[in-house]
Amino acid sequence: MDNTVKRLLERLVRRIPSRMLKTTLDKWSRLTATQRQSIDYTESKWALTEKLLAICEENELTVKHIAELEMIHVIENPNLGMWHAFQLMDPQDDAHSVELTQFKEQFKSHLSELIRHVSIKIKKHTDEAVWIRIAWGDTFSRPNHLKPTYVVHYLQTPYVFLSSLTSKQKPLLSQALVLSTRYQAIKDANLSGRKLTAIRDLLMKQYLQVFPTKFPSPLAERNRVVSNLHIEKEQAGSAANRHQMACEAFGDGLLPQLQSAVYKLETKFRDHTNKTMTERDEPFRCVVKFASTNLLESLRHSASSGVASTPVTPLLSSVPLKGKNYFVITDNGPGPSSQK
Amino acid sequence: MVCERKQCASGDRTGTTALSRVTFTGQHCGYPVGGVVTQQPPKSKTCKRSGCLHRIKYVQKNKEKDSGNMEGAPAKGVLSHLSLLEVKARSRKTQLQQQSRVMELKAKVEALKTQREQLKAQIQTHQDLQKLRLAMDKQCADEEEENMEEESENSKLLRLMARHTQLKDLLHAHHLIGGYDIIKTRKGKGACVSIATAYEDVFLDTFNLEIDLKPTVKISRHNIPPFIPLNNLAEQNNMQTDLRVFLDTLSKHLNAFAGRKQQLKLVKEKHKSVEVMESNVLCSLLVLLFTVPREKTAVLCTLDYTDHTRCLPTRVHLESEDKQLPDSPQWKKNCTLLMETPVHKALITMKKMGSIA
Repeated sequence: MDNTVKRLLERLVRRIPSRMLKTTLDKWSRLTATQRQSIDYTESKWALTEKLLAICEENELTVKHIAELEMIHVIENPNLGMWHAFQLMDPQDDAHSVELTQFKEQFKSHLSELIRHVSIKIKKHTDEAVWIRIAWGDTFSRPNHLKPTYVVHYLQTPYVFLSSLTSKQKPLLSQALVLSTRYQAIKDANLSGRKLTAIRDLLMKQYLQVFPTKFPSPLAERNRVVSNLHIEKEQAGSAANRHQMACEAFGDGLLPQLQSAVYKLETKFRDHTNKTMTERDEPFRCVVKFASTNLLESLRHSASSGVASTPVTPLLSSVPLKGKNYFVITDNGPGPSSQK
Repeated sequence: MVCERKQCASGDRTGTTALSRVTFTGQHCGYPVGGVVTQQPPKSKTCKRSGCLHRIKYVQKNKEKDSGNMEGAPAKGVLSHLSLLEVKARSRKTQLQQQSRVMELKAKVEALKTQREQLKAQIQTHQDLQKLRLAMDKQCADEEEENMEEESENSKLLRLMARHTQLKDLLHAHHLIGGYDIIKTRKGKGACVSIATAYEDVFLDTFNLEIDLKPTVKISRHNIPPFIPLNNLAEQNNMQTDLRVFLDTLSKHLNAFAGRKQQLKLVKEKHKSVEVMESNVLCSLLVLLFTVPREKTAVLCTLDYTDHTRCLPTRVHLESEDKQLPDSPQWKKNCTLLMETPVHKALITMKKMGSIA
């Protein structure tokens, strides 16, 4: 059997946790009922791999089929790996009426024109996301299925999410995407994270945002249970105010889980007590990185507890507002300066 | 009784003046009772204390004090003098306190009076405003020309205030019927618009926009999904000059989107025999797979909603293995039905007619 198939299958079985293996294989539906029943999922991974290899040989499955299985697994678990968001710019007139079959054909033809050996698989998920798996080869070698790139796009939106793309492959993919979606350019959206669902929710505004309303707080119930009449919070008013401002800046409820925010400063050094630094002509280069398991939640909490001053500084509130977590700050104006 | 004090100027022996200086206390059983009586002692009474049957004897109280016995007991005299001074001082303090208290109360009275005047003026303005509002509303209803006579500053201001309340009520009514609502934020420098969407008498999502009004009209924050072309709409409808037109168009887009999304949801819920082959996030394209009963032929139906401000499709396309089916009169009727009725309702009719399973 083909070596690549073996390696791919081995790697895949190692990656998929045992408890999800059964459901994934069922979804794949390339195995007959008897074959599925013959697999004992309590065996070790090595034994399972051997068993599956045997079955695949029996069914004469090729690398394309294994790639399908991998795609099913990745679609079910989109929060692994590192995802980067890109934004399509300047739509042409027919960008809004691009439909799936048209997009699929166009993308495949454009990419195949740009690079001779490439394996493309496109699948539409139930939540309207179009998933594309690309295995890259070049003029001389076959596509490498061990390092595929995954692309996720929602038609009629300007956002594309990419994972595992090298700098050599980037211009080729960009061109194919731009041509098939009928836009004119694509640029980096400066948003990245481990969880696809988080960066997608942030850009598609699928989390709960708070806006000023006529009646900001709910009506107090008549039989409100006061925890302890003898305890009075002296700063209840200002605490409520801070909480409101923090929620308006970041959102309410569960927030999309970002892992980091990076600020790259290219501003002039501004401390008059330090002459050597201020006398330099070049801007002061500095990188500030905030890291957390749930960055937006920590920022919101720091604003509502008073650690960060309220109203929330635009440097922090830009993360959800602009949907970016990489900022370059230069000296072009007063205040938080221009942020690219 | 005669005042026995030496050098007492009053020679009156029976008049009340002399007697007013004389105080009597009732005494019996050795205890003072009945308080101090400053006139003629009352006739001896029976003690009112329960169980006691003694008669009360009235004895001149200040006999010893007023006897002016200076040499007799000097300590007593000094002490009594001191106690007199103490009493005098205390009464002076209470007098002072009373004076400052009086001034406080007077000031409070003044403050309350001015407050009352203010409230009266407010009530008057409110009444004038209401009268003016009634007149204005009637004018609007009758479409008469406004009476632009020479008005004083006050009445101009009043007219402006009445117009303001009229607009606020109009906005509130607009919000109640499912239109958008605007509130002021950041002390007039910004506004927040909330656009409600509804379909078939059911309220769906609410979308919000925060707008900066100064220096230019600009959208600062919103929760409108990216497939609604917000920036395009802002440019096309000239948001800077005509905010209302922009908001009306945006509201149409959002309501139509919510309506189409709701139709898709109902099709998926209520018509399980119809398979949804394709849809998109904007709900501007829908491809459904019908099964004709009895023959079990499949019919693919494509609904294009190219006008994003409408809930009905602009184009219906049918395809089938049976090439003649789309041209049959029954299916031509179904085509028109799908163009004119919302899809979830059209499917009910088609099922009743037996076109689809």
